[in-house]
Amino acid sequence: MRNLILLAFGIVFTILFLIFPTQVYENFYFSQGFSDAMYNGSMYIVVAIITAAIAWVAAVIYYYVINSVKFDRWWHWLIILVITILLAPTVSWAYTDYDMAQQNYMYDKETFYFELLNMCVAAVLFIIASFSIRWWSSNCRHTPIPQ
Amino acid sequence: MRLFIFAIGGTGSRVLKSLIMLSAAGVKPLDESGQKIKAFEIIPIIVDPHKSNEDLKRTDVLLSNYSTIRRRLYGDSDEAEGFFATKISTLRSIMKDTSVNLTDTFIFNLSTVEKCKFRDFINYDTMSESNHALTSLLFADYQLENKMNIGFVGSPNIGSIALNQIKDSDEFKAFANILTNDDRIFFISSIFGGTGASGFPILVKNIRNAQNLNVANKEFLRRAPIGALTVLPYFNIQHTDDGRIDKADFIVKTQSALQYYNETLTNDTDAQINELYYLGDSISSLPYQYDPGENGQKNNAHLIEMIGALAPLKFAGTPDYKLRDQNGYPLKTAAYEYGLETDTNEVTFKAFGASTRHLLYNDMVKFHLLYMYLKNGFEKNIGKGYTQDAPEIRNEFTATDFYRTLDTQFFTAYVDWLGEMRNNNRSVNLFDYLSADMNNVISGVGTKKTWVGHKSISCDSFLSEMNRLSRDNKSYSAGHEEFKLFDLFNRAADNLLPDKYENIN
Repeated sequence: MRNLILLAFGIVFTILFLIFPTQVYENFYFSQGFSDAMYNGSMYIVVAIITAAIAWVAAVIYYYVINSVKFDRWWHWLIILVITILLAPTVSWAYTDYDMAQQNYMYDKETFYFELLNMCVAAVLFIIASFSIRWWSSNCRHTPIPQ
Repeated sequence: MRLFIFAIGGTGSRVLKSLIMLSAAGVKPLDESGQKIKAFEIIPIIVDPHKSNEDLKRTDVLLSNYSTIRRRLYGDSDEAEGFFATKISTLRSIMKDTSVNLTDTFIFNLSTVEKCKFRDFINYDTMSESNHALTSLLFADYQLENKMNIGFVGSPNIGSIALNQIKDSDEFKAFANILTNDDRIFFISSIFGGTGASGFPILVKNIRNAQNLNVANKEFLRRAPIGALTVLPYFNIQHTDDGRIDKADFIVKTQSALQYYNETLTNDTDAQINELYYLGDSISSLPYQYDPGENGQKNNAHLIEMIGALAPLKFAGTPDYKLRDQNGYPLKTAAYEYGLETDTNEVTFKAFGASTRHLLYNDMVKFHLLYMYLKNGFEKNIGKGYTQDAPEIRNEFTATDFYRTLDTQFFTAYVDWLGEMRNNNRSVNLFDYLSADMNNVISGVGTKKTWVGHKSISCDSFLSEMNRLSRDNKSYSAGHEEFKLFDLFNRAADNLLPDKYENIN
C-alpha cells in the first residue's frame, strides 16, 4: 500500500510539474527577454516534457531493464543520476537553442543558466521517479537507500 | 516418524557421519509415492567403548553442530523442508521422564565396560581352575589383557560378552521407555571387526527378548520394525606385527558372522530383523593406518559409508505393511544388496542407479552450491537485495554462533568428508570440491547449452533469484534471518538447477 501511495505521489508531482512548468522554471530563474521568448514560444512545456520523460525513463531503465545485482549499489544509481542530469539539459539545450535560432534570438548565457536550473529539475524528477517505482525492482529496490 | 539408530563401532560412526551430511543436504526418506516423509526424526545412539577414537569424536561433534544449526533453523518442530530438515535428537532430549539421570549425549554410556581390562571384566582372577582353563581356551592372552576403552580390537568374542551388559544400562531402559508403536529401530555395524559384529546381534536379541528384561514397553520392543546395515569388508588396513587386526582375517570373520546371523537373526522360522542391508566392496580402500589405541582410528570417509547411509533412509521409507503382519509382528527378513550402475573406480553421480540419483542428486548439489555461496558470495552480498528485506541480515550475522558453527565447523567437516572420499579408493568424485566455479563444479555435469555457448551460473545468479523470491514473499518478515537465508537459497536452487544445469535425473 505504501508503495502504491509513493507511486501515486510521484505521478501527481510530475503531472503538476508538466501543468505548471512556467511557474516552476520562472520562479527559480527569470531573465526578461529570455523568459519571454521561452514563454511565447511555448518552450517551457516542451522542456518540461523532455526533462520529465528522460528522468522517468532513466529510472525505469535502471530499476527494471538493468536491474542487475552487479549494478545495485548507491553509486551505481548515482551514475544514472549524473547521466540523467547531463542528458536532460543537453537535449533540452539542443531544442531551445534550435528554436531560439529560428527566431534569431541570442540568449546563450541565459540558456546556460536555464539549463543549470534544468539539471536540478532533472535531478529532483529522477529522485522522485526512483522512489516511486523502485519498490517492485527485484534487485535494486533497496537502492540508493534501503527501504 | 522416529528412527532410533544404533551406530555400533567405528563403521557405525562413519556411516552415521555420512548420514548427517546427507541430512544436512536435505536428503530424507521417500514414501511409496516418492515423496519425502515430512516429519522425520533420528535418534542416533553411538555404541562404542573406544570413546577416544577419532571417527567417533568427529561424528559426535558433527551431530552436536548439526543439532545446533537445525534448532536455530526450525526450533523443535519435526516437520521441515530443505537443508537440515531431519530432526536429530539425543535420547535425553526426547525423554519425558526426567527422573532418569541420563547425560545429554549421542554416545551410549559404556562406563562399566570401558574402565577395565577384559580379564577384570569377567573376573578372570577369581575364577575356579576349570573355568580358568575354559576361558583360556576361548580367549587369547592379548584378548584377556585388552583394555576395553579402546574397543574390542577386532575381537567379537570379547564384545559379545562385554556388550551384553547394555541391557542393564540406564540408556537402554530410557530407550525402552521412550519407544512407541510408531517408532523404528536401525542398526549400523560392520561384520568383520569386533564391536559392531558382536554388538549388533546382542542388541537385537535383547530387544526381541524384552519379555525377559526389566524394562518398559516390552511389547513395543518385541514388535518394533528393525532394520540393519551390515557392512562387509571394504577397507584395507596397514599390516603390522601387532596383528590384532589383520585384513587377512576379515573374510573369515565375515563368513562366521554371516553364518551366525543366518541362524539367529534372519532365519525364516524366527526372523528377528525386518530388513537387512548387506554392503561391501571387493575393491578395498587405500590402507588405513593401524592405530587402535588412544585417539587412533581416524579413517578416511569412503563411498561404502555414504551408500550405507542410504539404508536407514530406505528402511524408514518402507511402508509398515511390508514390515509387520496384521498382528504387528515382524515379517520374514527382507535382504538387500547395492550395486552401482557403472562399475567404475571414479564414482560420479552418473555412476549411481536412477533411484539413488533421484534420492541424492538435487539435494546434494543444492547443499554444495549453498556451501559455495556462503563461502564465496554471501558476505559480499550483505547490505544488498534480499539481505535488506525484513528480517535484515547484517554483518553481525556472520559472528553469530549459528553462522560460525556452520561456516567454521560444519562446512569444514563437509569439505573434509568430500576430500576423504575423493582421495579414497573407490574415489567418490561428486564435486570438484575445491573449485569456486559453479559452472563446472558437478563432476560430469555441465551447464546447459545455448545458441552461443553455455548458460552461466554464479553467486550472482543466486543473489538475483533470492532477491526476486524475497520480494515476492513477505512471510519471512515474521521469522528470523537464518531461516530466511536457508529457505530462500533452497527455493532459488530449486529454480536454478533445472534451468542452468544439464538434467541427469
